[in-house]
Amino acid sequence: MLTFIRIAWRNVVRNPGRSLITTGAVAFGLAALIFLKSFVTGADQQMITNYTDLLIGHIQVHRRGFQNNMGLDKSISNPSKLARALLSVPYIRAWAPRVKDFALISSTESSAGVLLMGIEPADERYLSSLHERVRVGAYLNKGDDDKVVIGRQLAENLRVGVGDKVVLMSQAADGSLSSAAFTVAGLLDAGGEEIDKGLALITLKAAQDLFVLDDKISEIAIETTSLDDVQEAVEILKNKIDLAQFEVLTWKEISPMTYQWLKFDQVFTGLILVIVLLIVSTGILNTILMSVLERKHEFGIMSALGTKPDQIIFVVTVESFFLGALGCLLGGLVGVGLSYFFGACGIDLSSISEALNSFYIGSVIRPKIDAASTALYICVILMVSILVSMAPARRAGRLKPVDALAG
Amino acid sequence: MGLVVETTNVSRIYRQKLSAVETRALEAVNLKINEGDFVAIAGPSGSGKTTLLNLIGGLDYPTTGDIMVDGVYVNKLGPDQLAEFRLRKIGFVFQAYNLIPTLTALENTEYVAFLQGASRKHRDHDAMSILRDLGLETLLMRKPAQLSGGQQQRVAVARAILAHPKVILADEPTANLDSHTGEELIDLMFRMNRNLGMTFIFSTHDKMVMDKASTLIKLHDGRICE
Repeated sequence: MLTFIRIAWRNVVRNPGRSLITTGAVAFGLAALIFLKSFVTGADQQMITNYTDLLIGHIQVHRRGFQNNMGLDKSISNPSKLARALLSVPYIRAWAPRVKDFALISSTESSAGVLLMGIEPADERYLSSLHERVRVGAYLNKGDDDKVVIGRQLAENLRVGVGDKVVLMSQAADGSLSSAAFTVAGLLDAGGEEIDKGLALITLKAAQDLFVLDDKISEIAIETTSLDDVQEAVEILKNKIDLAQFEVLTWKEISPMTYQWLKFDQVFTGLILVIVLLIVSTGILNTILMSVLERKHEFGIMSALGTKPDQIIFVVTVESFFLGALGCLLGGLVGVGLSYFFGACGIDLSSISEALNSFYIGSVIRPKIDAASTALYICVILMVSILVSMAPARRAGRLKPVDALAG
Repeated sequence: MGLVVETTNVSRIYRQKLSAVETRALEAVNLKINEGDFVAIAGPSGSGKTTLLNLIGGLDYPTTGDIMVDGVYVNKLGPDQLAEFRLRKIGFVFQAYNLIPTLTALENTEYVAFLQGASRKHRDHDAMSILRDLGLETLLMRKPAQLSGGQQQRVAVARAILAHPKVILADEPTANLDSHTGEELIDLMFRMNRNLGMTFIFSTHDKMVMDKASTLIKLHDGRICE
């Protein structure tokens, strides 16, 4: 066995130029794959984190049916009971109650439909990063019950600024038409149209008063200790509350578009993987085929001396494995090294930051190595390097010694 | 001494793939070789010497006839069985030496013994002993490309001997060597034949080889003529 492996290895180093080109192609392909996957993983994580941190949180609890048909009739009464259930669930880092409904916001110049959210400013600071996105003016504080924070683009549409008055109008829970005047306290610049053009924030108490909700709320938004803990926290939470009355949704269910985008991203990366694998396979196949044709005489000698066809196939296959393994070693080091380097210093894409912002991705992307994918790519390339060698290996194994020696 | 090789009405006809042209390399060859013989097969180029050795060695199949080596009908074996037959029964010494280019002299010598399953310790011991006898002890780690033709051919003989085959087939082993080296090589094989009782079958044009042979078979146009 060792002798066959030695023969295979020496065949690899016998023609260093050709072996280098093949291992180089494998290495380049793998390094590109690892880096691309790290880049996409980094960008995806940034997108998920920014998106969930900005507004929706990792988990939301509503009255059943709220997600499909938002309305004040699906408010949660006695939220303190729900809050007690949350306290006993591990993995929950922060949570905040909210009131949510659509409203009409009017200035002296114009009016627009908005999603009106009533929040507890202190709780919300632990959950969302909206307070960091107030570029002009100030975020809400406890007791700011006559103030509103709106999106920058909405303010432009309404032609209002900080300190101006706006009126919020909506149908209340009791069916009456309710309205109140608010002073614009700050302008949000979240980067996404959804928020910048269509969101207005007031305090929870102001919202409950406007919508005549008493102490009822629309939802509890929750942030877990990490995105990896979301599913487990949901499972535990589902066991602690009445599921006939409440729905517990993860960010994937709250924002299926974002989740679908991530899925598309994965499919896209998978497609690139297949293309790179095809290129790598062709390179290895070409090298092995050339090598077999060139060494027909040598295989004839081995066969004449009593080497069995399977043993010759083994030699050729091991040779191909060596080429793949060398390429993987080199490509792995380069790919992981590049990903770590750019992960630490970041890739500045501020020239296209507007496009990135609309996907909730910052202008500096930090690639993040996906260990499982990296291991998978290496395994796949090693398997491919063995599989593509099968045809030339069988060809070498089937050579008639008398023909091979003559040729 | 018993019979070690017997061919019965052996013919080998080569047919070109895309034409009806046939080349009759051997025709109705009958011969018997005893164990321990030192046989020379002589004849002009194209007389069928190499073809006959290839058939006896199981490198090729006859078109008709039977070949028996050490009690085995070679022409009835499949590719895997033929490989096993060559491994256990036949030693080859080729005109072009045919050493494995990536292996050293020592590794080439050990190669067949390795295939036979001999332990590393035994292989090393026996190979070094034979190579020492052949005056190659300082060249053990050299690759074939770093050896002269005579040195390569001696490694090839060492490889054949180390496998302890029933028959050693040598296809014009001195053809690529100068006369002095060729003579040394034939002397070496003659000594092996005498000392170890191995059967040697040569194809040759070389008068000196023919003179040493205990049996001389002359081929002409694929037929035994003497």
